Amino acid sequence: MRPCIRLIPGVLALLLPFSLLSATPVVEIEIRDHLFLPSEIVIPADTKIKLLIKNLDPTPEEFESYELNREKVISGKSNAVIFIGPLPPGEYPFFGEFHPKTAQGRILVQ
Amino acid sequence: MLLNSALIVLQETLEVALLASILAALSNRLEYRMTWMLFGLSGGLVPALLYAMNLELISGWFDYTGQEVVNASLQSSIAVILFLLPWTFFRQHHVHSDQGSNEIRRNRLFGIFAAMSLILAIGREGSEVFVYLDGFLQQGDKIKTVLVGGGIGFSIGISVGFLLYYSLVGLSRKWGIAAAVLLLALFAGNMLSQSSVQLIQADWLPSTAPLWDTSGVVSENSVSGQLLYALIGYEANPSLIQMIAYLAGVILVLLAAVFAKFRSTRSSLRK
Repeated sequence: MRPCIRLIPGVLALLLPFSLLSATPVVEIEIRDHLFLPSEIVIPADTKIKLLIKNLDPTPEEFESYELNREKVISGKSNAVIFIGPLPPGEYPFFGEFHPKTAQGRILVQ
Repeated sequence: MLLNSALIVLQETLEVALLASILAALSNRLEYRMTWMLFGLSGGLVPALLYAMNLELISGWFDYTGQEVVNASLQSSIAVILFLLPWTFFRQHHVHSDQGSNEIRRNRLFGIFAAMSLILAIGREGSEVFVYLDGFLQQGDKIKTVLVGGGIGFSIGISVGFLLYYSLVGLSRKWGIAAAVLLLALFAGNMLSQSSVQLIQADWLPSTAPLWDTSGVVSENSVSGQLLYALIGYEANPSLIQMIAYLAGVILVLLAAVFAKFRSTRSSLRK
């Protein structure tokens, strides 16, 4: 058991860079009237991005993207953070699963 | 609206229905009582409601990644329970009359693990359904359509579960148990894989490029893609970490089953 316990600080130290090095660029998207605003965002290739999604509607929405492998429920009148990338150049569509007819958007990676 | 609500509720129901039916088939083949199912299904509604009601609070944890952390914990816990499950039943084949009390204890342990895994699965999937329905309750006129759609999705999910249950129970005892264990192993892999995706999304694990992309063959958006996703954790473009997590889940549960079976055979030979 002892060696295991001794390993814990080491493992934590290894994990630290992932959580603390948060010089990650932030990109904001708003949800208003079941629409993503802006519905198209451009981000640089091979860069990790922190998406800050502000749901201004009173109703919940689910951000979903098969291409990005991302999925997250966002309560009404609240914020959510989703990390994406680093990604190769291309087009990555996303949508609001609760209102897919209107809530559509895409991320252009250049 | 009708179709979309059916699909959303189907998605959430499917995973739980498949898990419940595999466990039920196993329980049936082992001739255990099914009371655990009642506890699992009804007990799961409590965490589902609590999670849905406190979603905003939980989402705010860990710098707005609380939801991912909670989901990953729930999913990893399910995988751990599925890893422990084979140890509870593999001695059952060699029951002698003097082992009656032992048998009852194993039966109870199986029930506890099975119910716990269902409670955790419903806690996560059910909460999403509650949040979804609650959103439409505020929108008045649409709620009827959403409820009908949701009802359709729910019924399809349950039907698929029954279909799987009867397919597994229709097999011979030996093959039925083997198939159920294999499906549980795949389910555990799926849980660990999904859990790794959540941690990547929260930036707790590093994000790496997809290993391949089969979205042209089976799209995750399609019905077959959704079914495969729920059953074996199909992902069109998995990353390396996700793949490692998936394989680890599958292999660990299979190893647990093989090892537990081996030990039971050996101990029965010694008698």
